[in-house]
Amino acid sequence: MATDQDTAAMDVDTGSGGPLSSVVNWMENLSEAAYAYLLLVPAFFFITLVAFYPLLDTLRLSFIVEGARGTEPTIGLENYIDLLTGSALISRQVLDVGFTAAFPFIELGSPFFRQALFVTITFAIVSVLLETLIGFGQALVLDKEFKGRRWVRVAIIIPWAIPVVIQAMIFYLLFQPTVGFGSELMQALGIFGSTPLANSRDSFIIVLVADVWKTSAFMALLILAGLQSVDRSLYDVAKVSGASPWQRFKMITLPLVLPALIVAMLFRTMDAMRVYGIIDATAGCSTVPSLTCVVVDAVFATRQFGIAAAAAFFTAVVIGAFISIYLLFFADSDGGYF
Amino acid sequence: MATETDTQQIGTNKEDEPELDRGPFEAWAARSIKNPKRAYRAMFYTAMIFFLVTTLFPFYWLLMVALTPDGSLQNIVLAPATFDPALLLAGDLTMGTNPGAFVEIFERLPFHRYMFNSFVIATVTTVIVLVVSSLAGYVFGRLRFKGKSPLMLLVLLVSFFPPAAFFLPLNQLFNRNFAVLQPVMSDGSLYNTPYAMIIPFSALFLPLSIFILTTFYAQIPDGLEDAARIEGTTRLGALFRVIIPLSAPGVATAGVLTFIAVYNEYFFSSLMTDPGAENWAPIVEGILGYQGQYQELYNLMAAASIVGVLPVAILVVVAQEKIVSGLTAGALKE
Repeated sequence: MATDQDTAAMDVDTGSGGPLSSVVNWMENLSEAAYAYLLLVPAFFFITLVAFYPLLDTLRLSFIVEGARGTEPTIGLENYIDLLTGSALISRQVLDVGFTAAFPFIELGSPFFRQALFVTITFAIVSVLLETLIGFGQALVLDKEFKGRRWVRVAIIIPWAIPVVIQAMIFYLLFQPTVGFGSELMQALGIFGSTPLANSRDSFIIVLVADVWKTSAFMALLILAGLQSVDRSLYDVAKVSGASPWQRFKMITLPLVLPALIVAMLFRTMDAMRVYGIIDATAGCSTVPSLTCVVVDAVFATRQFGIAAAAAFFTAVVIGAFISIYLLFFADSDGGYF
Repeated sequence: MATETDTQQIGTNKEDEPELDRGPFEAWAARSIKNPKRAYRAMFYTAMIFFLVTTLFPFYWLLMVALTPDGSLQNIVLAPATFDPALLLAGDLTMGTNPGAFVEIFERLPFHRYMFNSFVIATVTTVIVLVVSSLAGYVFGRLRFKGKSPLMLLVLLVSFFPPAAFFLPLNQLFNRNFAVLQPVMSDGSLYNTPYAMIIPFSALFLPLSIFILTTFYAQIPDGLEDAARIEGTTRLGALFRVIIPLSAPGVATAGVLTFIAVYNEYFFSSLMTDPGAENWAPIVEGILGYQGQYQELYNLMAAASIVGVLPVAILVVVAQEKIVSGLTAGALKE
């Protein structure tokens, strides 16, 4: 009996080793290309499930136009047209007149989606410009050798590493009229009105300040990498030929850092166009609407999936347009990053 | 600091400066003109202090809000209104502040559960991302095959689309009931489970890790891999026993960045579950939970924010070199 069981167990052992070793054998004998495709399967499984399939489905949904109750939905571009003309049913058609009176450039009563488009693009351009300037300043400081540089670098990185919701909490509290002093400070300077978190223009500035505070560090790190790759002997040559520090910066640092700078700006612009969390947790989407806000609003407030999908895909198109502009202008500006 | 060194300088430089009736600032300006290096150094320290104050003051202020007792939450600037060091003599160790807020956050809401949820989601996502991107990074960094560049571009494409473009179908997918999942999940849908966040995050943060690991794996000399293969290691064995251990700093970098990114994410974190801690909602919902309940609990919001920041703050202090090298490698790869 006992020997019987032993041989049975041994049989099982070799049996379970069989398929495994045959799989290993099969993998060993694959061509390099086939092996490469095999190893890419998990990555593309996730990317297809979470990105490509949803993307195509979003595109499909955006063309399904729901008609009046009881009628069959039709296929067409109506969702996009409705969004742009303002006849789409989103919970808010326009921003509240009382709140927006002071918001620059937006006409009162212009469609909600166009306002969201304007807010998103303005936010992206202004925040990326400010972050580039401040980030450059921070990078120049970090590029110097000094005692405690490690700790200064930690201090500058920390805002970048904190959760968006906590960043939002900090600025929500700072500009909350009772707890914070930010509103009073800005009111004393004559910039803010009486209720900053309910006023579109003031909230826009708060969101902008919060974003600049958090993400300047990201720009600083990327620019710093560019700065540190600059050959130091170039500066010595320039010094010997009598170039002033400003000339050294303009003629050596800036052109050599430019490729890194442009990549950093491209990444930041893409990111800034997706702004949602900081708005949602401070002023709210109805005060400062962004494109992502319109998508969330259409899904959860009015259950208009076609409209939501159209807004989402439109956002992707706007980001694509921005990237194309970058690539067109900077693709051949040496560096060969693209 | 600056004035101290200035006065010292005035003392030592007296011989060079005959006009002694200059004010200290004018004297400093005159010397700066003679020696521009001083002016640059002054500018440098001013800039450094400015950046330090602007980045760190909000955290200090947040702590002050958290320490302010419930009743006096008004116009906090440098310290709580009730703060009085003299109370220390009277035996009050808190000096008029309210550290109890850090206990109260756990009593009002199960904030520890929210933290735990965030931790689980971030850790599991990091492990999945590291395994999957190790395979992909090895392929892109070391193998030669047809269609490499288009496939790499396809991966890059993911990081270009806004999360909103993926959200609607994923939300519908996770709310659908699957018969296959019925024995595992109570109602067969993934909504209100950690998977509703782990799956999207695993894909969304994959590209950055793939880029970082591609760079690192490409740098390992071919000879080491060949040697391992001749010794009789399998193909996968060579990857896991030679390439990955040799690229440990790169793997650590990708792991730290993925963990931070998932821990910090807002969009999916706030939309893929219902707010309750038992629904695997992450800290986003925990912190926002103090906003809506009956009244605005400002000091609790501040205290919860500080507790929520601690894990990433520690991670930044410990792994700052990795973060810096990872961000720059990931972004400058293309």
